[in-house]
Amino acid sequence: MSLVQRNSKVFRRDKTQVFFSLLSVIIVIVLYAVFLQKMQVDAIERITVATPELITMVNEWLVAGLLSMIAVTTTLGAYGIAIKDQETKAQADFLTAPLSRATIQMSYVLNALIIGSIFSFIALIGCEIFIVATGGKLLSLGHFVQVLGILFLSVLLASVFNLFLSLFVSTQNAFSTLGTIVGTVLGFLCGVYVPLGALPGFAQNLIMYFPISHTTVLLRNTFMESSITNVFKDVPASYVEDYKINFGIVYELQGNILSTSTSIIVIVGTILVLAIVSILLFKRKYK
Amino acid sequence: MTFAIKVENLCKQYGVHNAVNGISFTVEQGTLFAFLGANGAGKSTTIEILCTLLKKSSGNVTINGFKLDVSNDNADIRKSIGVVFQQSLLDTRLTVRENILHRGRTYGLSKTQLAENYQFVSSYLHLDDIEKQKYGTLSGGQKRRADIARALIHRPTILFLDEPTTGLDPQTRQFVWQAIRQLQLETNMTVFLTTHYMEEATVAHQVLVLKEGKIVAQGTPDALKTKYAYDSMAVVFNNPLDGAKWLEEHAITYTEKQEIYTIRLESTLQALSLLKKAEPLIASFEVIKGTMDDVFLHIMAEEGVA
Repeated sequence: MSLVQRNSKVFRRDKTQVFFSLLSVIIVIVLYAVFLQKMQVDAIERITVATPELITMVNEWLVAGLLSMIAVTTTLGAYGIAIKDQETKAQADFLTAPLSRATIQMSYVLNALIIGSIFSFIALIGCEIFIVATGGKLLSLGHFVQVLGILFLSVLLASVFNLFLSLFVSTQNAFSTLGTIVGTVLGFLCGVYVPLGALPGFAQNLIMYFPISHTTVLLRNTFMESSITNVFKDVPASYVEDYKINFGIVYELQGNILSTSTSIIVIVGTILVLAIVSILLFKRKYK
Repeated sequence: MTFAIKVENLCKQYGVHNAVNGISFTVEQGTLFAFLGANGAGKSTTIEILCTLLKKSSGNVTINGFKLDVSNDNADIRKSIGVVFQQSLLDTRLTVRENILHRGRTYGLSKTQLAENYQFVSSYLHLDDIEKQKYGTLSGGQKRRADIARALIHRPTILFLDEPTTGLDPQTRQFVWQAIRQLQLETNMTVFLTTHYMEEATVAHQVLVLKEGKIVAQGTPDALKTKYAYDSMAVVFNNPLDGAKWLEEHAITYTEKQEIYTIRLESTLQALSLLKKAEPLIASFEVIKGTMDDVFLHIMAEEGVA
């Protein structure tokens, strides 16, 4: 635990690292303020009357995407310490203490989990304040607990996913490039930069097969459940379903709408597979 | 005699290259052991093996009675050694105190024990004035004090110092050495040192010189100086021509540079008899003791390196 505390302190004191971990999220907020919100509101206005609840619903769509991205970018940022320790040989210093390589590696994973959880929770509170400030309502207790559960899954998935990626990297330069790639691609792969329906078929499939995007879907479902009912109360069910599919609130794969439990299975399955593969990679790397 | 370190026929190979080639030596407990060699001689490889950071290819290593085992983490050995690396490896954004305490906790020390140990190392290394400063803001000398404190926080019985004073000013080097020597004498700690400053090796109990993965010289500094270095005397004559003539008449070999005549001495006392004989001719003189630098250069030259 002492190493985890150290890792956490080192990450939090590096303000630049924290800023870059949140950079892609900041970009999404800017894009949203500039055109994403308007684009979505315009699209919905074609099928129903614009009400204040509509704005809330669209805002909820945004925050669900943001929260799933924050889990990935902050956990990836946390692994920066592992790469730095490796490159500066600080790990050699830890290895002169009675610690195994596996324990040291586990300390980075736990730190990523903690950093991801803290930042996701702070972001959730910030998002709730934003929704209330723009005329929406707070999540019900049930939904709030549900969101916390999904966020925990997101952070767990992101921690394992980034652990897997970081095992291929051994220099800070390469890690910085990895961060840029992940930060850029993530917004697309979670259907945050561009709504799913606006993309060509192959890109839609790519997103739906990208496990992290399932956390976005789960979050959108939970955040938007009440507001979708309110906004689309006088709209035919088929229009509502079209909206949900086009904006990535549900996934339609080969004519079937994927259930929440399918998304959870995808997430948990990916966590297990990536954890096993990462352990094997780690063992091979330090054989 | 108790050995803190016992190395028997140690080998480390990288492919076909033998970085360490069957070396054997022992380090007596409570002594200062200087491990010397030119760059690429195999010093760092050996130290990394002794510190459990690198797996040996073959041979036996026993540290504090624990046999080095390539198949596990050698926790018993790690608990009993402290390592000061060449580079500064502590976290730049943490304070000195935070750095040392975080590292100390990895040894499983209780809070009380850790606090006691911190007080102990702090008193030797005068950490009071820097403990609240971030490590990244410290000067080179202050960093080294913190590095040594980190290596000592669990009170090891063997301290490995890998070029600990490289890049430090003379005053800081002196301070660092005073602290290490004091600690060593008071706690009977074994110090295993690599350095490029040969005068630091002069105070060692034993010196070992490594070249191309093999031991080329070993002994006390005095024994090595006797074997590989010599004292000399630099003389300035009132009249250089008369001086040179006198040296030649007495069949004394010398070298001359800018009218300073350097004479190789068989012993320091030989200077006295020479001075008595040539006193009327001499304007000034200086007796120069053989140094570990001479030893090192001589050994390297003998082996065809210098």
